[in-house]
Amino acid sequence: MIKGAVAIFKRDFKKFLSNPFVIIMTLVMPIMYLVIFGNAVGGTLTHIPLAVVQEQPYNDFTPLYTSSLQGLRTLAQKDYPPTFDVLVYNDEEKAKRALQDGIVKGVVVFPSPISRDNAVRLYVDSSDYATPALIESGVQSVLVGETNPVQINKIYGDIKYIQFFGVGVIVMAIFMTTMFGGGIALIKDRELGIIEGYLVTPVKRSSIILGMIGSGTVRAFLAGFTIFIVDILITGIIVQSTEDFFLILVVLFITSLGVTSLMVSIASRFIEQQSYSSVAAFFSLILFMTSGAFYPTIGMPDWLRWITIINPEFYAVDALRSIILRGQGLNVIGMDIIALLIFSAVAITLGISTYRRTLE
Amino acid sequence: MEPQTFYHEDTRPHHAPTDSIIRIDHLTKVFQSKTKSVTAVDNITFNVTRGEIFGLLGPNGAGKSTLIRILTTLLRPTSGSAYVDQYEITKDPEKIRSIIGVCPQNSTLDVELTAYDNLEFYGKLVNVDDRILDARIWQLLEMTGLTDRAHVRVQTFSGGMKRKLEIVRAFIHHPLILFLDEPTIGLDPESRREVWQQITRLNEEETTIILTTHYMDEAEKLCRHIAFVDRGRLITLDTLDNLKLAIPTGDLIEIGFEAMDERLLPEIRANDQITSADIRDSKLFISAKNGSGVLPAIVAILAKYSVPMTSISIRPPSLEDVFIYLTGKKLDEGTSGDTKSSNGGNRQ
Repeated sequence: MIKGAVAIFKRDFKKFLSNPFVIIMTLVMPIMYLVIFGNAVGGTLTHIPLAVVQEQPYNDFTPLYTSSLQGLRTLAQKDYPPTFDVLVYNDEEKAKRALQDGIVKGVVVFPSPISRDNAVRLYVDSSDYATPALIESGVQSVLVGETNPVQINKIYGDIKYIQFFGVGVIVMAIFMTTMFGGGIALIKDRELGIIEGYLVTPVKRSSIILGMIGSGTVRAFLAGFTIFIVDILITGIIVQSTEDFFLILVVLFITSLGVTSLMVSIASRFIEQQSYSSVAAFFSLILFMTSGAFYPTIGMPDWLRWITIINPEFYAVDALRSIILRGQGLNVIGMDIIALLIFSAVAITLGISTYRRTLE
Repeated sequence: MEPQTFYHEDTRPHHAPTDSIIRIDHLTKVFQSKTKSVTAVDNITFNVTRGEIFGLLGPNGAGKSTLIRILTTLLRPTSGSAYVDQYEITKDPEKIRSIIGVCPQNSTLDVELTAYDNLEFYGKLVNVDDRILDARIWQLLEMTGLTDRAHVRVQTFSGGMKRKLEIVRAFIHHPLILFLDEPTIGLDPESRREVWQQITRLNEEETTIILTTHYMDEAEKLCRHIAFVDRGRLITLDTLDNLKLAIPTGDLIEIGFEAMDERLLPEIRANDQITSADIRDSKLFISAKNGSGVLPAIVAILAKYSVPMTSISIRPPSLEDVFIYLTGKKLDEGTSGDTKSSNGGNRQ
């Protein structure tokens, strides 16, 4: 009875295409995320106002002070304006007041010649999340630069945050299209009695589910692929080889299959849209936030990292990042693919068994 | 649950007459919930003859739809058995589904698709050969007069058009049996007549039709055999004429008047053809075995007491009268033109 599955597949797909508004809206959301979030977060910080002062008495400027001052003034990331706008103070108290008044983001106090063993003291505005770490590393690099300069080699080239994040958005698009577009369409069909119409036909129930998962998978895949292309255009990521390209398609497909099956198993438990939508929102939040799309998962507390282990999005994001950003092949993403396949198999089984129960 | 297909040496009950296309044997369905159990179908036994239009009548909630759902393999019975053609409903549900057409009470059309697409999709589900499918679709659209709307979305259709489309959709694969659950519920009189014509036409193509309804006129118009169902039980099953004979009171005579002389009542009742005579709301209600035969005698008595008549009506008992007689209650308040129950909603 593959004919029945094909008929259901075609019908679902025809309905999907007949509503371009929904298609566009489900794609607009991830693109907005990519463009707005990707640019708002993780931008390179420059022109950070920084106060520099030497301890009393400062009849003479120490060599450390002069060279560091020069270093801080010229410190910049490649192709970017200087990181710091250095303001020289001659009174430590005044400098600290400037910090409190928000005129500067940090104060560097250099020791005077009499107290050579004293530390270089750094005061930072800790209410700001991002700049203290940057000031700290900037000052340290300048101090270290005195003796042994650190040579940084970025083995995958310069990767901007939007490129790092963009890969996650591909997975997000798959998830959103499935959970919201696909799941709601399925529940609507049930509300309209269309599913009941299937049941009095000789089509096997497994064929019905096969048709539904099939059409959902293709829809999700197309959404993921579209965002992948958008990602290339907007963030400038590059796919290095044809092999990589096909590997990406494979990952997108397995992810789509798993997420769609999960959706079918969840959606089959609901008879109306509202409660399903809230559950879908819950799932998309928890799975997306723990996927590592925003921030590396190693920064998470242990209890949260447990979620990433069973989170298919984590493996999908990791696999895509390995291929797209690092140009790695099957030998590295093999584990991710196996995890995704296991997830898909479990989700399909769950989808079929829970769906059947509601048919009886 | 996917019941396996077993092939028994003989799946027919030996006592059943072969011209019965449906044989229901002590069928019971109990819906269990935590707090209570409801017996929707209570030990029902009857047969349906091949090729007829069979009416399943009863008030809302009588168990008609549950019975249909069991026969169309959507529900499993709690006990008892039923055969559709030669297949047992719990053993060969897939075989049954390929020989039946079902038009459920609540529409299952996809209103976002066109009429053609709806028929094409369903045709594929019920395994109509691709080579003849297109021709068959146009034939059905012709039958319903929807040819010019073939590529219009169903959501723009009127209730009657949707209903007709859904009925022919159930018929796309020439099923042996067509189940129609409340086919004219919520339709205007004109659409109802069209749906009735449709049903009659389909029956002429040698399809057995099982029809549930709570409209008496519908059953009177269409059905050869009628089964009365109430509270899950089969009250009676017979032909329309026999059912009417079941009422001992015979024809009903109503005479309107302006002023009544009470003395004529005993005199009317004295006629041994007349079973009862009563006065209500300025009307004289008389039940008589042979209505038209006794009418002259009644008119003569009225003339004798100089009672001026404003109206006379004489009618044979309707199915509704039979139902009231058998169950002591009305089938539905206002059986004709009633749209109150039309938005039956999700009853399951």
